[in-house]
Amino acid sequence: MHEETLILYYYNDGLSSSERRKVEAALDDDPGLAARYGRLRAELDDLADSETPVVPSHVMHRWHDAIDGAAQHTSRGVEPQRSFSPLSFLWGAAVTAALAIGIGIGILLDVDNSAPETGPEASGAFSRGVAVYLRDTKQELAAMPAHMSADRTTLILDIIEQNRLYELAAEQNDSSDVARVLRAFEPILLRLAAEDITPDDAEALRTQLAFELEVILTKLSRDSSNDRQST
Amino acid sequence: MVAILQGSGAPTRADFHAAISNRSDRWFAACLRITRNRDMAEDAVQNALLSAWHKREQFDHSARLDTWIHRIAINAALQLLRKDRPGVFEPLETEIEDRGDTPESARAAQELKRTLGAALTYLSEFEHVCFVLKHMEQWHLREIADELDSNVGAVKQAIFRAVRKLRTRMTGLQGSASCMKRP
Repeated sequence: MHEETLILYYYNDGLSSSERRKVEAALDDDPGLAARYGRLRAELDDLADSETPVVPSHVMHRWHDAIDGAAQHTSRGVEPQRSFSPLSFLWGAAVTAALAIGIGIGILLDVDNSAPETGPEASGAFSRGVAVYLRDTKQELAAMPAHMSADRTTLILDIIEQNRLYELAAEQNDSSDVARVLRAFEPILLRLAAEDITPDDAEALRTQLAFELEVILTKLSRDSSNDRQST
Repeated sequence: MVAILQGSGAPTRADFHAAISNRSDRWFAACLRITRNRDMAEDAVQNALLSAWHKREQFDHSARLDTWIHRIAINAALQLLRKDRPGVFEPLETEIEDRGDTPESARAAQELKRTLGAALTYLSEFEHVCFVLKHMEQWHLREIADELDSNVGAVKQAIFRAVRKLRTRMTGLQGSASCMKRP
């Protein structure tokens, strides 16, 4: 039997049902052929890409931005509206303020150091800024309206935007662990922003986020404490 | 956390963001396998996302959003490849035989060791794309032929040649490729 027939048999494509039955019968009758097919199958099974390329975060951000850009140019009838409202403005302002406070505290805590920061000191300031941001995010999520609304969506989208900023900053500060954790928050936040989420699911996601925020806060606090002890 | 949509209505912006966060590495990997060029693969994914966004009303809810985008991304990658290298998918009457080891290819193969990626460099563009679409993406022969403006017979022959060359490269089997030589 030709190798070509065995290849088509392997792919289960390109042979009629009667041709497939003939191959099956031949494989049953001829141990040598069965062994040959076994080798072919094993080798084809092995022809798989074991390495999945990593998508750089700036590329992924570009794709997210492409969707946001396209969404702004198309009909808004399908999506949650992001129109201006005093409440949504306040939510946005709150998040921006939290970001500013987060960065500010990070700077203030290191105000004694007039020399440019490098190494663990700079990293410590950054970690403290992230910690403040995470604590504020946790509080905002806890205070978020339980039912789906444009304001809630706006709040979550704003948090996602801030999250990406901190993720980028984490990468620039060689805090890949923090960047990874922040990146992992995004899908949860997006699910939370979904239009069709039930209140129960939303609550479960909020609990999950609160737990994970607490874990990273504890880790940051422990790292910061270890840094102080080692200096 | 896979973007599985239930119910009716077009996928939302949040659905797309979730799909990107969860599955874009797979789309990118598939486009990279086809184009063998990171920039082109990145552009293919972006083009696919924009295309999917504009066609989102056509999304069939019996499928998954990420699977739908995956398919669009592969089409986008093929389109970019076609645009970049016109005539790339025309099977030659005499297909390129195993190129043998030039100093450059030998060095590249040595660096990449015996990975599939290295072995794939020994295929012609048509063999490569047919093999990737069949073996990695599980497309039907008919779909591949239609997409590449070819015919099922030519696609089959390309896959046979690709499998022979890859088996030779990956497992060290010798001799089988020689039967593909044409006058």
